[in-house]
Amino acid sequence: MIHFMIFLPLLGSLLLLITPVRWREEVAGFFAAATLGLGLAIWRAGGTELFSINWVPSLGITYSVQLDGVSLTLALVASFMTLIAVLYASRRVANPGTMLALVLAMETGLLGIFAARDLILFYVFFEDALLPALLMLAIYGKSHRMRALVKFAAYTLFGSLLMLVSIIGVKSLGGSPTFALVDLVANPVTGPAQTWLYLGFLAAMAVKLPLWPLHAWLPDFHEQNHDSGVPDLMGTLYKVGGYGIFRFGIVLFPDASEELRPILMGLAAFTALYAAWIAFRQTNWKRLLAYAGLSHMGFVALGLFSLNETAVIGSMYLLAFQNVYTGALFLAVGMLQERIGSLDTRVGGVMNQAGALGGLTMALWFASIAVPGLAGFIGEFSILLGSYQVQPWITFVAGLTTIAAAVYALSAFQTTFWQSRPLGGIKVADLHSTEWLVLGLPLAVALFFGVYSAPALNLIQPAVRTVLAALGGN
Amino acid sequence: MLQIPDVALAPMLPILIVLAGGIASTVLGFNLPRRALTVINLVMLVLSGVSMVTLWDSGATAFGGGLQADNAAILLGLTILVGSIMTLLVSLDTAYRARVSFPEFDAMLMYAITGTLLIAFSGDLIVMLIGLEIMSLSGYVLATLQASRRAEESGLKYFLLGAVGSAILIYGIAFVYGATGSLSYAGIAAKASGLTPANVGILVGGALLLLAGFAFKVALAPFHQWTPDVYGGAPTSVSLFLSTVVKVAAFAGMLRVFGGALADAPGWSSVLQILTAATLIIGNTAALFQRNFKRMLAYSAVAHTGFLAMCLLGTPQAGGAALGYYLLVYTLMTAAALAVVAALQRDELGMEIDDLRGLYYRHPAYAVALAVCLASLAGLPPFAGFFGKYLAFQAAFQNGYVWLSVLAALTSVAALVYYLRPGMLMFMPDRTPAREYPHGQRTPTNFAVVLGVLGVTLLGILPNIWYGWVQNPAIWQFLAGR
Repeated sequence: MIHFMIFLPLLGSLLLLITPVRWREEVAGFFAAATLGLGLAIWRAGGTELFSINWVPSLGITYSVQLDGVSLTLALVASFMTLIAVLYASRRVANPGTMLALVLAMETGLLGIFAARDLILFYVFFEDALLPALLMLAIYGKSHRMRALVKFAAYTLFGSLLMLVSIIGVKSLGGSPTFALVDLVANPVTGPAQTWLYLGFLAAMAVKLPLWPLHAWLPDFHEQNHDSGVPDLMGTLYKVGGYGIFRFGIVLFPDASEELRPILMGLAAFTALYAAWIAFRQTNWKRLLAYAGLSHMGFVALGLFSLNETAVIGSMYLLAFQNVYTGALFLAVGMLQERIGSLDTRVGGVMNQAGALGGLTMALWFASIAVPGLAGFIGEFSILLGSYQVQPWITFVAGLTTIAAAVYALSAFQTTFWQSRPLGGIKVADLHSTEWLVLGLPLAVALFFGVYSAPALNLIQPAVRTVLAALGGN
Repeated sequence: MLQIPDVALAPMLPILIVLAGGIASTVLGFNLPRRALTVINLVMLVLSGVSMVTLWDSGATAFGGGLQADNAAILLGLTILVGSIMTLLVSLDTAYRARVSFPEFDAMLMYAITGTLLIAFSGDLIVMLIGLEIMSLSGYVLATLQASRRAEESGLKYFLLGAVGSAILIYGIAFVYGATGSLSYAGIAAKASGLTPANVGILVGGALLLLAGFAFKVALAPFHQWTPDVYGGAPTSVSLFLSTVVKVAAFAGMLRVFGGALADAPGWSSVLQILTAATLIIGNTAALFQRNFKRMLAYSAVAHTGFLAMCLLGTPQAGGAALGYYLLVYTLMTAAALAVVAALQRDELGMEIDDLRGLYYRHPAYAVALAVCLASLAGLPPFAGFFGKYLAFQAAFQNGYVWLSVLAALTSVAALVYYLRPGMLMFMPDRTPAREYPHGQRTPTNFAVVLGVLGVTLLGILPNIWYGWVQNPAIWQFLAGR
């Protein structure tokens, strides 16, 4: 079942190429929904066992996959948001066949990242997800997309090639027979070599978190992408750095994680606050959301690097659910752009004519700035609570971000949706047909998991405990 | 009574078949049209491949070890044949437009392939040298064959610098012979460890001269200057041949000499790592600034020389396996990319990178094929280029060249950027008129492209298809012969 779930979207994406044009939306929707259905079935069954076969035996590369705990949570969120993306792209993008195929191809990469339990396999899926993201930007991007493309790809590869060297080093210096995670854990690298290898690994993950100073690709990537926000949503799902550190980084490099803890926490807190500060100055919704997302990722990293149980649980929770509301906000911005033809944050008065769009956007913003009762709050609060016990001052700095978040979010919302509609401005249509679902479903998820977190925590908590217990209890 | 010399013909058969094709092209060229000759030659190449496969695991030798058809030779020989077949297929379509469609083209090509196979099968330095010279001389002619100033310039440059390279190589051979008193790889390897100090100096000098000579042939910096001009100036099908088959053969020679004969000799590896590092930096950064797509591929060939040379720095077992895998993948992806250029170019200058804009909307299949090749060249999974790069990194890393693998990783980022630009331009919508050559049936070229793209994809998803054959360390342990 797990292999079906991983490769079904890819199959769908290939089938889309030969599907008649008029059926493409339905076929894509079917495959996205079927993938989510498989994910839910795996969830009902309580996750899957580790499945492992040799891929390239002489090199010790295995095909090891497993979906449980944190992986399953993230995979479910990814497949849910992909379905939403397919739903919106079908309505919004003219002749959407290519985009739908790319979205589905990317979903396979993402699910593979979450399921992989072998470092080389992880690397392969990690890069597989890159190609559709690049193609979406190239095909649907705006006039300055070449710059954004080069930045995005160069940052990603800079990190991941250093990670590749690290991966080779982990196996070769540790003397493990295969690249499977269990074998690597059984044959750890010790001493200063571990720190160097961790730094190589971190390079890739910091680019994909993203973490200051390796974040510069992010705003350009979002700004130059298609107006609908669908590629941005997929790009948000692709921010898997936090997961990579949790799944491989902490486990394989325990001593180095402890040694570098204060530095990394400091970087994370700085990223959170700095991104929020810059977000305040943005007048383009996409750039604003990019920096807002960066700020959230600073929080995720802060919790993760603190190695405190509560904080790590919180950061996995935040990582999973910020995909939901940040992604949905990108789509809301796409709807706004469709109506007023601009991504500027200073259009004014939209609320008067499109009340539902405004209302749903505001509710999603509330989730994003961690208003209690919505999913963002649980994540951020746990992170602050946990990391305060490790590094109070750094956490205090990061905590300031919550104030800054309210400032940038609400001021942008105010200048766009309130104030008065400029004279001669066109009439803004309100939400209709599937748009209600596209914004409503993610909000419902954010609300549900903000009030009743047990289903997600039941998945995340044991997984985090296992990982941290291997670290020597902390 | 006339004595028939007792020569083992079986291990020579693959080479002789190719040579027969060359002679047939020379003789029958008066009677048959060129296309018929090309078809004959394709059949000859396939037959040669079949005869190689029958030699698998036989370990046959001829001339007292001067020619050895061991498994290493067969694996490298098959790689050479794949590149040669793709060259011939492409030339079926484009040779006429390039004004090189006469029998001499085929004859020279087949002679060159004979030389390359001789290098792969060589068991001593003289056989290797003869093969290298056959290959090089035919290559000079091929590069000059087109009646154009550019081709003449490219051929003359190739000839002058190639001749210097050969001279240095021969000088190196003399030194090595002087130090060890032997020309066969096995003899050199046996004597290399127990030399008097005076002879060690001569051996090191010889090894370094050999290295410089080979560096000319494979285009290691700083001996790479001829590469972009020659690859850029020659007709595209010839560039395809020079950048794949000739390079594979030169690496086969390097592997034989440095991985086999001189494996225990001191000195050369520390120089090679510097040359490799320089190649990685120069090749990758220079490619960043190219505007012509064909010339960019030439620089990318230089950059790939750097990655391939990393394999030589590994232990013969790990490095040989890595090189064996990487060379085939390199051949497939470079040949397919150049085949697409050959199919679409208006003239033999190739095309500008900007001309590729919107190719996906005019020639979707070519665009996707080229994108796959570029992604593979850039080392992105799931294409085979990734495993090639990974193996090269691993070979160098495990033998202690950690800094080199980090440098290679960093220069790969530059590599990605210059592959990304044309790759992404192809998918950007464009309303200007097409700049591709619009006419013509290109069935053989398409076949070569499909072969390359399928190979790269399949070897990327299931690397074991080929790596399973090359990975056996026993193959690479006795490169010098037993």
